[in-house]
Amino acid sequence: MVHALSEIHRVLRPGGSLIDLRPVDDRWSIEVNSKGGIQQTGRMIDYPKGLEDDEASERAMSQAEVNGWFKREEMASFPLYYSWDTPKEMEDYITEEWENENALEESTKTLTRSTWASAGADARPRVRLTMSIARWNKI
Amino acid sequence: MTVQKDPEGTEKKILLQFADFNQRKILEIGCGDGRLTWKYAKTAERVLGIDLDAPALQIASIETPTDLRPKVNFIRSDSIKLPLRSNFFDTALLAWSL
Repeated sequence: MVHALSEIHRVLRPGGSLIDLRPVDDRWSIEVNSKGGIQQTGRMIDYPKGLEDDEASERAMSQAEVNGWFKREEMASFPLYYSWDTPKEMEDYITEEWENENALEESTKTLTRSTWASAGADARPRVRLTMSIARWNKI
Repeated sequence: MTVQKDPEGTEKKILLQFADFNQRKILEIGCGDGRLTWKYAKTAERVLGIDLDAPALQIASIETPTDLRPKVNFIRSDSIKLPLRSNFFDTALLAWSL
């Protein structure tokens, strides 16, 4: 990661900006969203790999700052939703796409299915990801 | 299996608050299929998206809107050795890739 940041520093013009946008694991909320409201049905399980990746990213940016390549100007976090038509689609997606980083507990799956089934035709299950965004200035 | 990513458009809104893409030369690292690229490329001067995922890059190339074709390009490259000249880009965007 630090090598990549070194290369980014090289190709940026003096005073240029680096925007670091990424999801951060923090036991993302599982919800059912409908006209009737939002009901939380559980939280994601974070596997060690995802957490280790987040820590490695933070360490790399800190090292880039120590090396005098970048200075952080601004940072924030915000929610970003992934939404599906059915709980089954959500479960399949999480199993296939996030298998090494996140998972759902059986109790969360069960509650999401029952909440979705009783919430009305417009109900959709969703995951509320936590996103981090930071702007760094090339020194 | 259909997933809707960011149906409320929050990512685009926050991204445009954090960075000025207007008439800037942008390097996007981890561009994938261009999902994020299309959210800011319209006002940029030039955009180069890089990724190691060849099938995703192929999708990005095919799906590049006609009006963006003159200024948006995608190449397969590893970010630890960029085949690019120094001191050229105004902004680098790490798109879910650090």
